Amino acid sequence: MTTVNERMVFLDGSRLIIEAMARSGAGAYIGYPITPVNWLFAGAKQRIPIALEAPDEITALQWAAGFSSSGVFPVTASAFPGFALMIESINMSFMMELPMVIILAQRLGPSTGSATTGGQGDLLLLRGCISGGYSLPVFCPSNLNDCWEMAAASVHTAVNLRTPVVLLTSKEMVMTNQNMDISGLKEIERAERHMHEGNGEYKTYGVNGNLAPPFLPLGNDLHQVRLNASTHDMEGITQKNSPEALGNTERLKNKIEQSVDEYTYYEHDRDEGADTVILTYGISAEAAREAVDLLRASGESVSLLVMKTLLPVPPRIYELLSAYRHVVVVEENIVGLLRELLYGNRQHDRIHGVNKIGHMIAPREIAEGVRQCRKPS
Amino acid sequence: MQETILNDLKMPYCPGCGHTVANKSMSKALADMGVHPLDVIVVSDIGCTGLVDPLLTCHTIHGLHGRAVALAMGIRMGLEHSDKKIIALQGDGGATIGLQHLLEAARHNLDLTLVVQNNMVYGMTGGQTSGLSSTEFKEPDRPESAVPGYDICALAQNAGAAYTARTFIGTDTAELWKEALSTPGFSLIEIVEMCPAYGMRKVQELHDTADYESVVTRNPRAVGLPHKAIGRSLLDGLKPIEHTCEAPLDGRLEIIVAGSAGEAIQSAGDLLSTAGITAGLSATKKGDYPITIGTGFSVAEVILSRQPIHYTGIDCPDIMIVISQDGLDKVRSRIGEHTLVIADAKLGPELEELAGPPNLVTRDFRKTGGSKGAALAAIAHWLQDNGFLPIEALVEAASRHKHGDKMKVIIDKAVAA
Repeated sequence: MTTVNERMVFLDGSRLIIEAMARSGAGAYIGYPITPVNWLFAGAKQRIPIALEAPDEITALQWAAGFSSSGVFPVTASAFPGFALMIESINMSFMMELPMVIILAQRLGPSTGSATTGGQGDLLLLRGCISGGYSLPVFCPSNLNDCWEMAAASVHTAVNLRTPVVLLTSKEMVMTNQNMDISGLKEIERAERHMHEGNGEYKTYGVNGNLAPPFLPLGNDLHQVRLNASTHDMEGITQKNSPEALGNTERLKNKIEQSVDEYTYYEHDRDEGADTVILTYGISAEAAREAVDLLRASGESVSLLVMKTLLPVPPRIYELLSAYRHVVVVEENIVGLLRELLYGNRQHDRIHGVNKIGHMIAPREIAEGVRQCRKPS
Repeated sequence: MQETILNDLKMPYCPGCGHTVANKSMSKALADMGVHPLDVIVVSDIGCTGLVDPLLTCHTIHGLHGRAVALAMGIRMGLEHSDKKIIALQGDGGATIGLQHLLEAARHNLDLTLVVQNNMVYGMTGGQTSGLSSTEFKEPDRPESAVPGYDICALAQNAGAAYTARTFIGTDTAELWKEALSTPGFSLIEIVEMCPAYGMRKVQELHDTADYESVVTRNPRAVGLPHKAIGRSLLDGLKPIEHTCEAPLDGRLEIIVAGSAGEAIQSAGDLLSTAGITAGLSATKKGDYPITIGTGFSVAEVILSRQPIHYTGIDCPDIMIVISQDGLDKVRSRIGEHTLVIADAKLGPELEELAGPPNLVTRDFRKTGGSKGAALAAIAHWLQDNGFLPIEALVEAASRHKHGDKMKVIIDKAVAA
């Protein structure tokens, strides 16, 4: 029977993501309607102080950048078709160092694909979406509790590093209702920007040894702010390729990569003595958890590694994977995007895939994949 | 002396370029109005117009080609009631690629000023014509090109701009600038200019080439601002589901409820899930319906389990509740050997071939529950027959619903039938 502190409710991931982002300090949500982010948009209209309908996704990102540059934390959400339109403006925001979160809910592609069918086909798009190959931090919830915690981590990381961050999810995560005891949800702190203080010299991109520059909003009364999407020096003045400007651009790479340990999230369910690990993320993690139970129930040893920080690839992931003879990478696409991200295009004897499109991968299919890879060839 | 928004560096433009004059006019107008540089935000586009960015002493943001107006809208909404002057600078190329943004800014009538410096040409990339080029302006390589340009002043005015003006370089524009900058709402100034690299070198030549007129329109209307709400928690409003009774279910039960749009299939699925939670089980539910949600099938997939549920997919369900032909057509391929099908009587003949006794139960659920209550009636009937969940769990779940009283009547009728 219900215990005193329990608060069992029936809810979806969209609700948790928006609530967590609001508590983290999201001040504006700008959306353009697209399935499967409809429930995120609906929740944002109730919860986020300013919730706007943009006329297209390019505008959505430009408005988001405008809000961010004036000190308001913006969130937007889309699926691949809309995200594709946003990419140039995400590059702009990355270069200007404007914090924001873009929620990308994957659905079956290519192109418009199937709006109401889930998928995991956008990982490498994110890996390559910044010209020059720089990583955006990308977080990926693997269950309802992660919808809460990774949403908060997204906002905090965006604010701390002054960068756009992507929360990568999928139709099945944001449009499925499940029971959850919400009394156990962690408290979320509001993310506060590191502000420039005092009347001393201010250069918009002057970092003084930090990874990201302190912030001042456009329109403040004390210092001129120069935001710039073109290659620029520390003042924010456009430069072709001066050493100072190239150094600033290099810092954009470094600030994301050098701090990855601070935002590395994963779940490692280690079975002592297991020679095989199931590696997965997002919606496929839930099936993998049941596959692990199935295998262990029949006396077969297996470990599970769920990545919740996908990009940049945390070095810790390679450390963990190195302990296993077989790695079975489970993802809802037929190309093997995570496999390619981690191991390139070359075939490896110890790297295996369980892949599928059009339906979620089932636990028995993952268990079968694990058994297959361990068969002597 | 009033500080100006232009520093004393040399303008980066070709000799005779209209942009030099336009920028000086902007700076002078702001100085005449006594506006301090830190009270100005200039949003500049890609293209020659944006080259002024390093010379500005005000706040600057230099973004993408064509998006300056959209970015300026975001800044204006972010700064809300601030009286800072926001000025977006674009060329005719930027205005062409970003035309939607220009119309949107006018429609919302946000308080900002857009200056389109129309020299009829893409000056950085080889002198191509834009959507704002005059029919009289010819590219050297395509002299036949004579598609009329957009009249952006007319477009902006129609879209709701508070103020629009078109003027020509070489005329005194100070008053236009001041009026635009002091008009509440969206103001647009189009300045028809010369590009000495690809166009013409004399003002008279410009006037001969340009087939636009000088215009000023005024349209006083309320200034747009986003609505700001005090967001309500999305969790506080959720009524906790008390665990008040017990279900005999030990393992996992997968149920598909299928019908047509408008037949409350999703609510029936929610109700069944809530009943399961009331009886101490874990529950998941997902909906499946065409993208046009008002027509065609509606399917709810529900899983009830004694153990926590991770994987929420159903291949071949244990129970299938089907109340319409749309629903049957959608889910018939998922009926397995072990699936118990509970269906509306009308579907009986067709289902007998697919399922057949003892795995088929048909009743006139539409008669019991009506079209909106047939699925609930079928669920109640099934629970009464099989006892997977106590019927009071379903009644308890119904009592949480805004139409709970009607639902309880249907449950009672279904149980009694």
